[in-house]
Amino acid sequence: MSHHHDDEFRIYSKEFEDLHKKWDRRQFLTQTTLGLGALALGGLFGKNIPGASPAAMGSLEQDILAALPHFAPKAKRVVYLFMSGGPSQFETFDYKPKLIELAGQNLPDSVRKGQRLTGMSANQSSLPIAPSFYKFNQHGKSQTWVSELLPHTASVVDDLCVVKSIYTEAINHDPAITFFQTGSQLPGRPSIGSWISYGLGTDNENLPSFIVLISKNAQKDQPLYSRLWGNGFLPSQHQGVQFRTGKDPVLFLNNPEGYDGTDRKEMLEYLSKLNTLQNDGYGDPEVVARIAQYEMAYRMQTSVPEVMDIKDEPDEVFELYGKDSRDPGTYAANCLLARKLLEKDVKFIQLYHQGWDQHGSLPSGIAQQCKTTDQATAAFIKDLKRRGLLEDTLVIWGGEFGRTVYTQGKYIADNYGRDHHPRCFTMWMAGAGVKAGFNYGETDDFSYNIVRNPVHVHDFQATLLHLMGIDHERLTFKFQGRKFRLTDVEGHLVKDILA
Amino acid sequence: MNLLDISTYLGHLHPLVVHLPIGFLLLAVIFQIISYWPKWAFLKGAVSIILLLGFISAVFACIFGYLLAGSGDYDYYLVNSHRNSGIFIAVLSGLLYASTLSPISNRFKIPSKIFSILLIALTGIMAYSGHQGAGLTHGTDYLNLQILTKKERVPPPSVDEAFIYEDVVQPILENKCGSCHQGGKRKGGLSIQQLQGLLKGGKTGPAVVPGNLSESELFRRITLSPTDEKFMPSDGKPALTSGETAIIRWWIEKAMAVEGKKIKELQETQKIKGLVAYSLKLGESPEDEEGGSDSIAVNPDIPSTVDQIAIESLRKKGVVVRVMLQKPAMLDLTLPSGKGIALNTVSDEIGKIAKNTVWLNLSGNNLTEKELGVLSSFSNLEKLRLERNPVSDGIFDLVVGLKHLESINLSETKISKSGLEKLGPSSSVKRVYCWGTGASEVVGDSSGVWVR
Repeated sequence: MSHHHDDEFRIYSKEFEDLHKKWDRRQFLTQTTLGLGALALGGLFGKNIPGASPAAMGSLEQDILAALPHFAPKAKRVVYLFMSGGPSQFETFDYKPKLIELAGQNLPDSVRKGQRLTGMSANQSSLPIAPSFYKFNQHGKSQTWVSELLPHTASVVDDLCVVKSIYTEAINHDPAITFFQTGSQLPGRPSIGSWISYGLGTDNENLPSFIVLISKNAQKDQPLYSRLWGNGFLPSQHQGVQFRTGKDPVLFLNNPEGYDGTDRKEMLEYLSKLNTLQNDGYGDPEVVARIAQYEMAYRMQTSVPEVMDIKDEPDEVFELYGKDSRDPGTYAANCLLARKLLEKDVKFIQLYHQGWDQHGSLPSGIAQQCKTTDQATAAFIKDLKRRGLLEDTLVIWGGEFGRTVYTQGKYIADNYGRDHHPRCFTMWMAGAGVKAGFNYGETDDFSYNIVRNPVHVHDFQATLLHLMGIDHERLTFKFQGRKFRLTDVEGHLVKDILA
Repeated sequence: MNLLDISTYLGHLHPLVVHLPIGFLLLAVIFQIISYWPKWAFLKGAVSIILLLGFISAVFACIFGYLLAGSGDYDYYLVNSHRNSGIFIAVLSGLLYASTLSPISNRFKIPSKIFSILLIALTGIMAYSGHQGAGLTHGTDYLNLQILTKKERVPPPSVDEAFIYEDVVQPILENKCGSCHQGGKRKGGLSIQQLQGLLKGGKTGPAVVPGNLSESELFRRITLSPTDEKFMPSDGKPALTSGETAIIRWWIEKAMAVEGKKIKELQETQKIKGLVAYSLKLGESPEDEEGGSDSIAVNPDIPSTVDQIAIESLRKKGVVVRVMLQKPAMLDLTLPSGKGIALNTVSDEIGKIAKNTVWLNLSGNNLTEKELGVLSSFSNLEKLRLERNPVSDGIFDLVVGLKHLESINLSETKISKSGLEKLGPSSSVKRVYCWGTGASEVVGDSSGVWVR
């Protein structure tokens, strides 16, 4: 009699049909449990976010992105000079004159307080204190102590905000560097640059918003892995793009031999149509990422050679950065390249320089490291400053942990080594939003424990995001049933260093 | 239902069950005493069975109490002492019962008077243990004599009238440190109840040294990393908020840890007034704990909304429009260099969003002052980039009316020394980048940044 009545209760809507087609489990779940029936709230202005098309996102993600930025940003771009290996604070910025009279004596237990050591020095019968082999002097109006190994950096200290009280939770390289870059010691989370690219999009659609540069002229003592600049569970187009040295700065960007590329654009347009069809059918966000990546690669065929070209730079610039800067792929050349990328409004540049892991022969090893990087680092600051780029660029310098006050192995005044030390080390920041010529935090006479203003890795990350206009507690991404953020469940803004 | 649930459930029965032994044992004492009157002498025979009931229920109360203590939310010392006295009561009541049984009483006769005294002592211990139990359940200050004598402070009518120590600092300390450092408890030898106690300090020296933050152990401990074992408050008790820490810092450093002084009698109070108002519930939180948008002063003249059609149109034409804040609508505009977008082809749309624009980047677009007349409409502009354009000193006349302008980038332009001089003393401009121009020589260092 009324056998068709249940038809009235069926929902016929385009959204519902679309939902049926979506296979991606995450999409299906977010849209049915949270999004169905709710109007997807677009951002006030419809931000410039590649891949932030509704098809690729649940409404939860849209709401989170639409609220950004959370406050007016001070910084528009970030350059992170990562000193991989763990530079010693003793021979660079954390001046500890009292160690001189204690040279060679055993580190008192009252200082170490039973803190864990690595397997490399835990079995030593004694832990002899090693003062810095290098002298320190105060520099600039800020009277900041800097070691004689960093004469160029010393000349720009009044532009730096030196934080001597950073501490981390990890004691070995891989977990420590992963923690710094992704907020978790375990691999798999998005890198800082990926979070920023995801949250804020791009200001230059011709270049990736997150670019990675690795020095070729460094001792590769500790490896770097591409997951350090990986996107984790964020859409793939937010992973860092590594610019290499040599003929192909970005792999697979050049046209293959025998192909002139004239119909490339046409080919990509057809491919994009095919991919769009595929996306309509399956709704896999990776398809959207792929479309975006193809288009980006096409634009990069022109933009990358343009930005890599340094022949128009005057000699004076090469003199400023040092002679290495003419040799692409060196730290100095990468600093120069970073400046050029900043001028193109690339949002996040992650530069790595390895070789700071001096377990032995530290005095000679660190001298070499400083020699390779000091002039270019200072030149980078000077160059950004005179071009007005420090105004809205944040520069960060630092490693994944510090080094121990005691020597690993025997103590000889001019030949000692230092083991990993997570409880305190020095980093500096410069530029947008941070105090210039400012020292923050204090360690004890052994630079073993922090006595004032500790700054945890998550605090540093929260502050970095804050300067970019992001509240670290509000930029989240739901994955496998929980919301993740860069600072996990911790992190406090370090207000004291904000300008 | 699993084992944990059952034990939690039974544990929660402890406050109920515990009243059974109290009742029985009290009754035993009463019967024992009134049985001295000949009229009630027959009650003496009942004391034995009542003691047995008291003993059994006391054992159950002990078991349930043990389960309740396992839930862990209690003061360690108080729980320990309460447990010991409870067990003692159960054991003593058991022994007293046993002494009434004929096989024992035949061999080992307790004189009636001793028996009575022991029973009375038992009630005394019970009262003591009961008080501890009540303290655990309701808090130690639930029933104490100080309540009778304590005078409630009248809340100050305004921040100026508030006493810094009595109305502001002391309540913070009482709230955050009181559970271990006041009244009967002085962990580490420290009592925060009175200022003298703070100045005297505990085992590790004075907690507060007026005017000297680094010597003030209290300040050091509350500002350590929360993961540090010396961090206070310990054991995961709620830490001081950043506002509270700031108040204490100020009180020690700037107010020399005084007592009996009103805020208005003190110096340099500007920084903490907002925090004090919030702590006295006289005002809103002066800033979001984590620095929300209201922690950054935003120019009130910036319109809260923006012409979105103009933004869309500009974006189509290749102008980069970056949203810096949604409310008010703050924009960062970039006319990309080398794209050949002429300023006059976009000036209509730019004019519509000029008041929303706080950062403007026109660098490397081959512009002269003639084409830059539109600048005067950017009344809320804070940062202006004009580097690598053939502009000359006339540019300063164009920007002189921009009241919020902080920084101008004029490096690699045609400006000269005399141009810089046009920025009068009333100008808001704090930084001019003049590297690569005739004006750079007036700047001290090689970066060519003129700083006011």
